[in-house]
Amino acid sequence: MIEIKDLYFEYPNGKQVFSGLDFSMKKGEKVGLIGPNGAGKTTLFHLIMGLLRPSKGEIRVFGKPRKDEKDFHEVRRRIGLLFQDSDDQLFCPTVEEDIAFGPLNLGMDNREVQERVHETCKLLGLNGLEKRVTYRLSGGEKRLVALATVFAMRPECYLLDEPTTGLDMETTERIKGFLLEHAETYIIISHDPEIIEELCNRVYRLDDGKVVNNRFCSG
Amino acid sequence: MHLEEFAEGSSLLHRLDPRVKFITLMPFILLVAVLKGIELPLAGLMVSLVLVSIARLPLKKLMNRLLVVNTFVLLLWFFIPFSYPGRQLLSIGPLSLSQEGLLYVLSITIKTNAIVLATIAVLGTSEIFYLTHALLHLRIPEKLVYLFFFFYRYISVLHEEYTRLRRAMAIRCFHPKSNMHTYRSYAYLVGMLLVRSYERSQRIYQAMLCRGFQGRFPLVRHFRMTGKDILFLAVMISITIAMAIIARW
Amino acid sequence: MHISEGILSTPVLTAGAALAMGGVALGLKRMDYEKIPEVAVLSSAFFVASLIHVPLGPTSVHLVLNGLVGVLLGWMAFPSILVALALQALLFQFGGFTVLGVNTFNMAAPAVASYYLFNLLVRRGNRAVTAVAAFLSGALGVGGGAFLIALSLVTTGEEFLSVARLVFLAHLPVMLIEGIITSFCVLFLKKVKPEILEVGM
Repeated sequence: MIEIKDLYFEYPNGKQVFSGLDFSMKKGEKVGLIGPNGAGKTTLFHLIMGLLRPSKGEIRVFGKPRKDEKDFHEVRRRIGLLFQDSDDQLFCPTVEEDIAFGPLNLGMDNREVQERVHETCKLLGLNGLEKRVTYRLSGGEKRLVALATVFAMRPECYLLDEPTTGLDMETTERIKGFLLEHAETYIIISHDPEIIEELCNRVYRLDDGKVVNNRFCSG
Repeated sequence: MHLEEFAEGSSLLHRLDPRVKFITLMPFILLVAVLKGIELPLAGLMVSLVLVSIARLPLKKLMNRLLVVNTFVLLLWFFIPFSYPGRQLLSIGPLSLSQEGLLYVLSITIKTNAIVLATIAVLGTSEIFYLTHALLHLRIPEKLVYLFFFFYRYISVLHEEYTRLRRAMAIRCFHPKSNMHTYRSYAYLVGMLLVRSYERSQRIYQAMLCRGFQGRFPLVRHFRMTGKDILFLAVMISITIAMAIIARW
Repeated sequence: MHISEGILSTPVLTAGAALAMGGVALGLKRMDYEKIPEVAVLSSAFFVASLIHVPLGPTSVHLVLNGLVGVLLGWMAFPSILVALALQALLFQFGGFTVLGVNTFNMAAPAVASYYLFNLLVRRGNRAVTAVAAFLSGALGVGGGAFLIALSLVTTGEEFLSVARLVFLAHLPVMLIEGIITSFCVLFLKKVKPEILEVGM
């Protein structure tokens, strides 16, 4: 599903993040991505989604090489990215409108969008929050709404950037439950060994811009 | 977001006291702006070119700037020569090209470029924080200077937030078109930026209070004029006065 | 929206500078020291927002938002717009220092007009009234600005009449876009953070 070969990336300020990174995942894999802060985990997600462009190397997603903006349009339709900070993800006044934003961009008509919003809220237990102002929700609620905005597009694969960091037990459990039940393929960045152990069947460790360890776990 | 494209360098102009920069540049560009005819604006342009060469500005970036500035001027070339009264040079159908009109647009073009080049060479070669600081010494109202300071300070922070929100839109397949959905989405983006900036300003103010802010900003004086500053000041002011005297004749 | 250097006549430059100074002085008087961060950071947000290019048929226009600045900041729109234009003059040579006064007045005067005409309606009105008042403030901001730019050109010399007409006409579709975006944006602010609509009071 995702194949990365010999990837180089550096920030405009000259900081080299990747020099020759290889990474791959198949449909149905649940990958945990671990490593110290600044190892480039979030950067890798942004490269896969085409928000950043590598200086060298190949990114293949869904069997096709992805190079320019156009190539990534399909990627963004079929892969959903959950940001580390939900405030970066949510910008509409109400929960409902935020969840509708993606489906509207996919060209669905109003009735379909309404149905999609309703269904999504139901699955994530957000009923009753639809008309609320997103910006004033609690941190946990915001994370669930952010997940809902991604899920509303029914992606085939999820990239989850620290989905449970800073959340209380209950919200963490809800997110875990949702992923186990509704997500087939995903990559999770997390510093929490428990999350990785419970939700993933494969673990990559990223350090110094390289995959230094790659193992299977119980899942 | 890299904004201060010309500020890096070690030329004479880069090292000039920012107070001197304001005192010399402002009279010069104001004079050029009100000059008439061709000769004096040309003299102004020469001065600007000398300043540019002293500052050793990167030519390619400079050309890009001039290109932008001259787009409006180009528009004038299509209109003014045909609507200015004067001796007719050429007539195409109902349109007639006047000599005075041509000279007038030429004068405008020279003045515009002279002012822009001088501004880049003199002010563009200082970091904005130093220029802000210099403004305080030059009796610009304190509140205005602090407003400018905070305004500039937080542009890059908010630009960063803007970029993140744009990314959030991109990964949800947002492609701007001429339709209501696009306009509404952009409006929400702007609204979100405003809400973020408002809340940030509250936190900034709280942080200022915590550090003992009582309505005044202490000013650390550290500018010192050198011989080069005084020389530059004398030369530029003399040129400006000389041009003004000739213009009055 | 601005006029470049070297074009306008001396009387127009002087009048613009004097009017702008008056407006800025009034704005500064209303801006207490503790309000500086608020006005400044909102101005930064407007500056960043003005980098957004919005598609309009086959072309695109960048946002001006001076109507919205006015509704939010009232008289403080003058210093806010002044610092933004000064920075543009400094960084990109859009506009310029000799035309700073004229350009500030042209943008800020319609902004203040938007404040007096629409701020109360926007804050107190129901959803429909708010939407319409906000639309009009956005349209007035840009339309008024374009009109004053045209006026500055024509008072410089009659030969600028055709250019001035073109400048004004070119801004008519922009008025529509600014109106729509200001309308949605104000509805957003009213729902999410209504205090922002009181900053200018």
